[in-house]
Amino acid sequence: MDGKTAPQMRHFNPYSDNGGTILAIAGQDFAVIAGDTRQTVGYEIQTRYAPKVFRLNDKAVLAVNGFAADGNMFVKKVKQKLEMYRHAHAKDMPLRAIARLIQTMLYAQRFFPYYVYNILGGIEEDGSGAVYSFDPVGSYERESCRAAGAAQSLVQPFLDNQIYFKNQQPIPGGPPHPVHLPLSRVIALVTDSFTSATERHIEVGDELEMFIVLSRSHPQQSLDPRLNATEVSTTASGEKVFVIRRPLKRD
Amino acid sequence: MSIMQYNGGSVIAMKGKECVAIASDLRLGNQALTISCNHEKIFPVSDRVYYGLAGLATDVDTMRQRLRYRVNMYTIKEEREIEPETFARLTSSALYEHRFGPMFVEPVIAGLSKTPSGGVEPFIAAADLIGCLNFAKDFVVAGTASDKLYGVAEGLWEPDLEADDLFETISQTLLNAVDRDAYSGWGAIVHVITKDKVITRKLRGRMD
Amino acid sequence: MNSLVSKFSTNNIPKQDVEDNEEYSDSMWASSAGYATNGLPTFRLPSLQQPTDFLRLHTDDHADPSCRIKIKHGTTTLAFRFKGGVIVAVDSRATAGSYIASGTVEKVIRINKFLLGTMAGGAADCQYWETYLGIMCRLHELRNRERISVAAASKYLSNLVYSYKGMGLSMGTMICGWDKTGPAIFYVDSDGTRLKGDLFSVGSGSTFAYGVLDQGYHWDLSDEDAQELGRRSIYAAGHRDAFSGNTINLFHIKQDGWDFIGNYDVSKMHYDGPGNIPGAPGTGYGYEVRTNPEACVVAD
Repeated sequence: MDGKTAPQMRHFNPYSDNGGTILAIAGQDFAVIAGDTRQTVGYEIQTRYAPKVFRLNDKAVLAVNGFAADGNMFVKKVKQKLEMYRHAHAKDMPLRAIARLIQTMLYAQRFFPYYVYNILGGIEEDGSGAVYSFDPVGSYERESCRAAGAAQSLVQPFLDNQIYFKNQQPIPGGPPHPVHLPLSRVIALVTDSFTSATERHIEVGDELEMFIVLSRSHPQQSLDPRLNATEVSTTASGEKVFVIRRPLKRD
Repeated sequence: MSIMQYNGGSVIAMKGKECVAIASDLRLGNQALTISCNHEKIFPVSDRVYYGLAGLATDVDTMRQRLRYRVNMYTIKEEREIEPETFARLTSSALYEHRFGPMFVEPVIAGLSKTPSGGVEPFIAAADLIGCLNFAKDFVVAGTASDKLYGVAEGLWEPDLEADDLFETISQTLLNAVDRDAYSGWGAIVHVITKDKVITRKLRGRMD
Repeated sequence: MNSLVSKFSTNNIPKQDVEDNEEYSDSMWASSAGYATNGLPTFRLPSLQQPTDFLRLHTDDHADPSCRIKIKHGTTTLAFRFKGGVIVAVDSRATAGSYIASGTVEKVIRINKFLLGTMAGGAADCQYWETYLGIMCRLHELRNRERISVAAASKYLSNLVYSYKGMGLSMGTMICGWDKTGPAIFYVDSDGTRLKGDLFSVGSGSTFAYGVLDQGYHWDLSDEDAQELGRRSIYAAGHRDAFSGNTINLFHIKQDGWDFIGNYDVSKMHYDGPGNIPGAPGTGYGYEVRTNPEACVVAD
């Protein structure tokens, strides 16, 4: 060893895992995007209320999971870009374009990735409900149901069974399995998924935050008052966005 | 990669009303390569006690032989059939004997125990690879798909299921869980133990 | 092999300003709303001596299964040339560790009406660069008033990924198409390999696919038999390889561009087969021994 050897960094770890789970389901003319609000590091709970689901505009909601610092910064940057688009084009960016934007933004960090799993949910230009899921470096796919995060492996197979009717045979001679489920059923499944995940995963719990985006073609433009939903959409004529908050177990 | 994932495979057991069910997949793999689609991991102890072993296939086989030896010795000495809880304790102690060089298996036990009044009571238990027992009142799981099994079972299971409903619940739980696990699947087998009989069925699962 | 090469090569990592100048350029405020670029994508790098080591530390799940950022792996893709054109067949499974993250991945990337690219390795790398390749192919068309050849398109991609060699890109792709020279397949990977050939299979299940493919391959195959061979080969990989499966996507490239033949469930192929279509056996692909309980019993 000569004295000229450059100093070397042995260890550089800018990432941590903040736990939690996110979930999105697309219906025919609505989308539900949900996440728990617990934020953890290892066995420690940092806070019981750290939102992971964000309204981007009246037809798009983004859920982020993984490293909270990266997630919050990423959402901020997406919102900035969408704002610039709105100023330039005097309209909100369509959902499929937001999906492609997120891909390029994630891939721009290919060699220093955001440690974030994104799920984008909302309404397409044709009025259909849609969910896009991303990996940390930007590969994406349109789906109708996706869970990500700490309890993804607990929730996703349950959803495969209840949403896609996997491993279920329709009654011979009876009606086939429905392609799209009604909103009430989807809300019930999301709630059940999170109570199940809370029961069996230590990083999931405290509170469930559920965004619901209704297409203009949805027969009801308001939600059942028993759901105790708050409307957060900005215009009366566009898509409607609601939030439902439910307590989860805190242990 | 963990030694517990070398051969793959998963087992689950559930309680019902005066019945229990135990089920497993049928894969035997060598890491990513699927060797066999007919590799059973659940074995009978008596006609009302069954157990399954998830983990390293060579240890599953050895463990099965050791447990059979011990159960036979117990039966000869006691001149009666072993109770499921006794079998669970026996399995636990057999595993703990290898505390510092463990057998790479996680047992799942399901059976009906006799009550003093002459009835039967469902019993399930699971242990880790060194024999720490878990007596659950709902369901127990083991193997490469255990996290998936927990998630689905937590969503589908309810108390006091009759034998046919329990069969449907455990089958759906297993099939959907292993379909999200690369190392489990390729067919499945279910045993439902009731006080009169044991119903064994092979399931037509995904073959990929 | 690649790690050996990188050990002795000098890393020419492009210098990058710490400040992200793209964010605050003038184009931010014009009608392009910050979306205009000079055509070349730029990438942020961690401010370290060896940014590549950083990426490897956090994303390489072969070296460390507990690393945080799991890049999806596992695949079977194949393509072969025959007298009727090119058959492209892929599975649709994406795994992260032992978890099957998706069973509906679109592993054939439609570059344009005459060009298809397959996806193996890093999903994002393939998706992003093959989309980018599509843009470049369209620009070539506009500039030269003729379609790009498969050779040129694949070389464009090959040179592009070669400029990032050692940075951690992971791609194994087949660029397939029909040009003036007829049907063509080029294998391109992130090490910089570019091979012309008649028959390729890429991914963790490729050995299983090759087994069936080599047995049934012939230049003079009919269209139906060629499609059946592609389907049957991916099924074989889906059945035996834990990291491949779910569904098969089948494409056929002819003189007038590619056709999407169909999407087939691997498990349905096992039990029932593809149904009553020319070239298919009429029964399931799975054989009796697998469902026969006597075939494999635990030794007593």
